[in-house]
Amino acid sequence: MLRYLAKRGITYIFMIFLTTSAGYFLAVSSLKPALLEQERIPRPTPEQVANSMRLKGLDPDLSPWERYVEWLTAIVTRWDWGRSPNGAYINAEFGDRVWISTRLFLASIILTLVIGVALGVYSAARQYKFQDRAITSYSYLAYIVPAPIAYFLVQLGAISINETVGERIFFVTGISTPGIQPGWAQFVDMLAHYAVPTVAITLVGWGSYQIAQRQYLLDNVNADFVRTARAKGLTRNQAISRHALRVSFIPVAQSIAFTIPAIFAGGFFAEKIFAWPGVGSWSIDAISLQDVNAATATLAYGSVIFALGAILADFATTLVDPRVRVQ
Amino acid sequence: MSSEITTGAGHTQPDVERLHVAGLHAPSDAVLSVRDLNVRFNTENGVVHAVRGVDFDLLPGKTLGIVGESGSGKSVTSLAIMGLLPSTAEVSGSVMLKGRELLGLSDRAMCEYRGNELAMVFQDPLSSLTPVYTVGAQILEALTIHNPTMSRQAKEARAVELLAMVGIPSPKERLKAFPHEFSGGMRQRVMIAIAIANNPRVLIADEPTTALDVTIQAQVLEVLHTAQEETGAAVVMITHDLGVVAGMADDIMVMYAGKPVETGAVDDIYYNPRMPYTMGLLGAVPRVDVAEKSSLVPIEGMPPNLIHAPTGCSFAPRCPLASDACLAGEPALAPVPGSALHRAACIKSGSLGGDVDVHDVFAAPPVPVSRFDAVPREKRSTVLQLKDVRKHFPLTRGALLKRRIGTVKAVDGLSFDIREGECFSIVGESGSGKTTTLLEIMEFHKDQDGEVLIGGISNKQANDSRTKSAMRRELQMVFQDPTGALDPRFTVYEVLAEPLQNAGMDRQAIKARIMELMKLVGLQPDHVNRFPNQFSGGQRQRIGIARALAVNPKLVVLDEPVSALDVSVQAGVINLLDKLRAELGLSYLLVAHDLSVVRHISNRVAVMYLGKIVEIGEVDRVFDNPRHPYTRALLSAIPVPDPELERTRERIILQGDLPSPLDAPKGCNFATRCPVFAALPPLKQEKCLTLEPPLEPVAPSAAAQALAAHPLPAPDQRFACFFPDGEIDEDMLVVHEQADHHAP
Repeated sequence: MLRYLAKRGITYIFMIFLTTSAGYFLAVSSLKPALLEQERIPRPTPEQVANSMRLKGLDPDLSPWERYVEWLTAIVTRWDWGRSPNGAYINAEFGDRVWISTRLFLASIILTLVIGVALGVYSAARQYKFQDRAITSYSYLAYIVPAPIAYFLVQLGAISINETVGERIFFVTGISTPGIQPGWAQFVDMLAHYAVPTVAITLVGWGSYQIAQRQYLLDNVNADFVRTARAKGLTRNQAISRHALRVSFIPVAQSIAFTIPAIFAGGFFAEKIFAWPGVGSWSIDAISLQDVNAATATLAYGSVIFALGAILADFATTLVDPRVRVQ
Repeated sequence: MSSEITTGAGHTQPDVERLHVAGLHAPSDAVLSVRDLNVRFNTENGVVHAVRGVDFDLLPGKTLGIVGESGSGKSVTSLAIMGLLPSTAEVSGSVMLKGRELLGLSDRAMCEYRGNELAMVFQDPLSSLTPVYTVGAQILEALTIHNPTMSRQAKEARAVELLAMVGIPSPKERLKAFPHEFSGGMRQRVMIAIAIANNPRVLIADEPTTALDVTIQAQVLEVLHTAQEETGAAVVMITHDLGVVAGMADDIMVMYAGKPVETGAVDDIYYNPRMPYTMGLLGAVPRVDVAEKSSLVPIEGMPPNLIHAPTGCSFAPRCPLASDACLAGEPALAPVPGSALHRAACIKSGSLGGDVDVHDVFAAPPVPVSRFDAVPREKRSTVLQLKDVRKHFPLTRGALLKRRIGTVKAVDGLSFDIREGECFSIVGESGSGKTTTLLEIMEFHKDQDGEVLIGGISNKQANDSRTKSAMRRELQMVFQDPTGALDPRFTVYEVLAEPLQNAGMDRQAIKARIMELMKLVGLQPDHVNRFPNQFSGGQRQRIGIARALAVNPKLVVLDEPVSALDVSVQAGVINLLDKLRAELGLSYLLVAHDLSVVRHISNRVAVMYLGKIVEIGEVDRVFDNPRHPYTRALLSAIPVPDPELERTRERIILQGDLPSPLDAPKGCNFATRCPVFAALPPLKQEKCLTLEPPLEPVAPSAAAQALAAHPLPAPDQRFACFFPDGEIDEDMLVVHEQADHHAP
């Protein structure tokens, strides 16, 4: 297994290198931060702009290939991903933002999974009954409503709760209140900030797991091996929970492993709407601010996370399905 | 449902009488009593009355065979007894297990009986075990459910004992294996082990061997026999194959359209059937042990739709003896005159019996005679010839850099020829290379290893598409699954027109040809605008045959043409193939796993094992006097619908499965499973293991040679074995003594 993981790891590192390099060339040839500098008031001279860019390692006069070599050398030798046009260091900015994204999404991912799979099982066991119809209709609704709209609705809900109570219980945006006392007050403040985005992301997210789990379980409920289990003396529900559930979880486990990284790297709607400056919003900002190094760094991060997800999916599959062999 | 009430009420009497006559049991002795069992399903089209009044008593240690075609309600009956039908099914009547009523019990209450006193083995062993749990865990589960206090060691010991009982080698290690690490036959053994884990009183086996090869079928039937002996359970054996139950069952119940139409002791049913349907079923099955050529009995028509309650005898629309009286009310199951134990649901049962020839009743067609039959084989031209054809698949490992770790010799040096007007069959277990042989013939590429000559055109000259299309006009194919082989969105006309358009015929000619084809295969010409799903399975296969014949080929390749069909329908298709061969002077290359069908239809046969022909020759010679131990084993594994013969027949039970082609030994491929090899002295074994036996003709015996004035020509039979006359290892030989079966 370890050898297999190592082999896959090497393949992915190679692929990450390729995508990142290609991304860098694309960014360096299309993003021109110098042009934005020109719009400053008072307008700097082109020489001033070029000079300030050169100081930040973003010399517009060098050819893309020369800049690529410079950029790559800095990463390989010093693990330095360069600077933004505003002078910020990518490395420092990146650490903060990954941490913010992780905090924003971790709780909702776990809740999404648990609730989605549990509701999938519950609705499959009650196929075509009222509960099943209600839950599954909701899931399809959550599927088709654009995420930003759902987030806004949850925010409005939180605001109306605040208004009804007459006191500000939930914060609908932001990470924390600046200057709060450490200790209990800080903890309550954190919960008040966490509640709205977590609820919003979970409400939107669980639908897909519910639909998938319900479908895969229903495919297995009438399987021959469930009938065998019943013929052994298990009741129908016991047979389903002991035999059909694990088999139906195999494809779900794989999809879970793939969606986790997608959320980490790409939740920019949530980050923007709830004003949590994470990796997702950074990647969009980088493009609008003509930030070559930041755009490439978020791309690299996305590829790494995706590779991890793929390895995780393989790992999850071998874990739940004994038929899969690792060579 | 007045007929049912009469069946139910009029039933107790003969039953008591029957047991009285037997003088052995009072009714309460039956472990399982089923009375007036009815099952209805609510479907979109209406209520389907799938089981209509089934009654039987099962005595301890006895075997009841339930026989019927698909849709006759036999599986639904078994699931109703087990309480495993979906909750939408309406079940009424009574099922008593040792005097306790099972019908109406809740799922939870039924669980006390299921897997404990009442156990079941299902049809498809590949999907019947949970793929994510080990075999050991699944056996242990069956023990845990009913013996919660049993210690883990005791359960494991019992599981090992069970696996050993069903014949799984090194059972202790195999407990940790997953189902996918077992072959189909092995999985069915595990299923049997699970079923007998708690010493059931009643074991229901629903088509337990249908999905398996004949040699494996023989093994599994043997295991079932052992299991019954060990546990003393009564067995309900459900099957469509009259051969399978002939040797096993004590009583037989024949079902048709959800109703038992004939019940009685096994000998009564097989030797003295009194219901035309039973007679038809028996006449429809070809026999592997009979050389005499007679047409099979086809039962025309289709079973009735059970949405509408039949007003008369449900078999009347297909029955050649039906008269107006048959249409007035459904006949009840009544004792046959002269035998209280034997009952039939036919108003004419009195006039039928063992001396009535089924061929007369069902008007079986005469045996067709081909114009080639009179011409000696050597003087007919060759339509297909294979010279040393090989197909080896490399077995590789690794994702980016592939390493070759071995070779699978799917077809290894095959040579044979097919002459005009002859049917040549290839038989063997799955994995023996039959299908690959067909694919190699159809491939027809010049880079193939070996030469394929079709109608004189060699694959070595097949450079352009013209040669290939000329070849395709010589050779056409009929596939196994008639439903999958027809495009569901093509009408029959389009299906048949396509090959004709490719051949460049004009519209008028195509239309005329299609009408001709429809008549030829026995379909109504005005049905050409229908879609395949409007036809039954047998009719679809006829369309497949018509499509193959459209371009007037000389050779038709038949890949398992009847294995997807019910026996009564199968007989009609076989008769049609026979007729077409004679009338059109066709040659067939047939691949089939059913040796009875092969014997019925073929002139010559080749037995394949691991990519090689081990025996080849004229069908009657090979089947009556098999020389290769594998042919002998294969033939002895086939059950014959003749109870007397089945009970006394010697049977060679091969051990294990077809070995992986990777492990094929250097010498004779078959040595690992050979019953003769096992009994040979080590010196001779050495020869088998190191030298590959060549395919050699049978030498006429010295005595026959001396008697004949001229030197006898070598008979048309060749085989590849050094010791064809060797003794058979005793461990692999099984005889079921008559006493063994009829012991009280």
